[in-house]
Amino acid sequence: MNERKVAKLVMTLALLVPAPRGLAAQLVSKVEAGQYSVSDGVLPLSAIRFAPAIQYELPRATFMARGAALLSDQQLQLADGIVSGTFTSPTVYGGRAEMIGNASRALDDRSLGPDQVDVQTRVHVLFHQHGGLWFGGGVARPWRVAVISSADVTDAGLWAKVGNAAAKFGGATMTATFTNFSFNKIASVHDTGSASLSCASIPSTMSSTNGGIRALFSEVSSGGACERQSRFGDLEGTLHWEWSTVELTAQTGYRFGDSYDVTADSRRWSSATATIWLSDRVAFVGGGGRQPALPLRGLPSRTFGMAGLELAFLPISKGAVPVSLPHAILVKSFEVRPGATGTQKIVIHVGGVETVDVMGDFSDWSPLTLVRRGRDLWELSVPVSPGMHRINVRVDGGPWMAPPGLPTVHGGYGGDVGLMIVGEDRSGH
Amino acid sequence: MIRLAFMVPPVRHRRLVSTVFVSVMTMVAAGASGAQEPDPLIKLDANSKFAVELILDSAKVEKLPTQPLMSRALEGIAKKADGKKIVDAVRKELGYLRTARSVLGGVPDDELTAAAGVIEVGAKPAQLAVFRTRHKDRNDLAAFTYWADLITRGVPPEDASSAIAKLWQDGADDATFYSLWKSVNSDILQGLNPGAALQNRIRESPGRAPTSKTPPEGPQETKSL
Repeated sequence: MNERKVAKLVMTLALLVPAPRGLAAQLVSKVEAGQYSVSDGVLPLSAIRFAPAIQYELPRATFMARGAALLSDQQLQLADGIVSGTFTSPTVYGGRAEMIGNASRALDDRSLGPDQVDVQTRVHVLFHQHGGLWFGGGVARPWRVAVISSADVTDAGLWAKVGNAAAKFGGATMTATFTNFSFNKIASVHDTGSASLSCASIPSTMSSTNGGIRALFSEVSSGGACERQSRFGDLEGTLHWEWSTVELTAQTGYRFGDSYDVTADSRRWSSATATIWLSDRVAFVGGGGRQPALPLRGLPSRTFGMAGLELAFLPISKGAVPVSLPHAILVKSFEVRPGATGTQKIVIHVGGVETVDVMGDFSDWSPLTLVRRGRDLWELSVPVSPGMHRINVRVDGGPWMAPPGLPTVHGGYGGDVGLMIVGEDRSGH
Repeated sequence: MIRLAFMVPPVRHRRLVSTVFVSVMTMVAAGASGAQEPDPLIKLDANSKFAVELILDSAKVEKLPTQPLMSRALEGIAKKADGKKIVDAVRKELGYLRTARSVLGGVPDDELTAAAGVIEVGAKPAQLAVFRTRHKDRNDLAAFTYWADLITRGVPPEDASSAIAKLWQDGADDATFYSLWKSVNSDILQGLNPGAALQNRIRESPGRAPTSKTPPEGPQETKSL
């Protein structure tokens, strides 16, 4: 299947998701339309981007596939794609092991063909679900970047989460990572002058399929290019802030390494993206900044800017999912706030679902459907008297379960029931 | 002017029409009245409905709250439980309420219901006795709620009861109970044994740590993350 056909398939997948009723959470798709421009001309100056994504979650594993096609100048081309799987071990004393595998294409540049397969394992220590740190390592293998061998990747990072999108000042997640890359690189002796060159052998894994690299190999054979050990490390900080229907992500980083491995324009970078949800399916997305070079993929550094609309999270019918879905892990947060006189506002964060219902003694155990206020924000004001109330929640008509973050008891009819305390003049929790 | 004879029925017919009209209106009114207050137990089979109504009557006679009993029945109906199971659940709830009332005496209905919930999950009635002493401006709702949750999560009932009772006697407020529950819950999710988690956290709370009645069992696997 050639790339044009793949691009058409991606676009078709993105468009063929008109969201019938009663849908699954993990299958999502989005269509982005707007201006996307970069400084080096790799991407077209203006493009419509079709980006379907499929995610399937299990208690100990997550599988995800995502692709994107760009429509520009009446030409459709495959932009990027990734297939990934994540496996996690049970958590023991706050620690767990994780294994992550990815096969990806970064951007469409036929001269470089920047495909890559990488596998990484790491140990992740969690602190009460509000923070954690990890360290690990793995191997990244560029498929068609001929001048780069497989790279050894080691990384460490920490994260902390404060608040949530429903809180007064929203919620923020801060992440800091350090990633070290070590690999062999074919370089011209004229480029380096370095003493660490080894001109004796060029690994067979460095294929010469790319025409642009043949010259280098010719140079090698004539004694003009050598293998060189390269190493650099990226220190990167990310801040993601959510408040109601607004999401902001800012990123900055610094690359350590000698001047041969790190060019001046990739030494520092920063970027920011804002997403404002105009409705439950439409968001404005804007942002820009600078991205460093990706040597493993053969991509240069670039300055980019983008603005557009995102038509997102159109689920595919539930019939497409062969087994029942673990809805319990989808509900991110549950909150009860005082509303108008005698009422309480129930606020639930759960992503990618079609319906969210609650029921309890306050509704005589009749289901009440919440109203979607944002991508994953659901709300309902309901009269609730002060005291303790039993409550259940369900998504997409699935099984009733206890809301997260509430005291819980086993219900008399199977499943758990949440216990919600509503005070005279304040919310339960 | 043409007069149509059939437009004005004879007297006998008029009486019949009036009777039918009144009957229909009465039925409509009765229907409307019924629509305003539908029988919430209508979806139960006849035998189960009768049994639940008997239990509700018993509660009324004993001046126990009927709302938690009705709620338990409605929950079963909403969850499509079998009629016998619903009757059984309502009957047990009445038993828990009776027990809670016998220990606590006259307390507000919601506190009595919460206390019944603690007995339901495995606390011994005698362990409620410490809550018999009423404190002005103090509500034991939070204590009962978190107590029931801790036992549900696997904290040995004896340990949970000792800890909650001790905090209550030391004058702990709702925030203290909430803080303890949240910390213990978090530790359990991290894989700590529930009993050990309570023992560790209760030491951080005001008051002395209660003596553990059961040895720790080592790390446990968390349900889901």
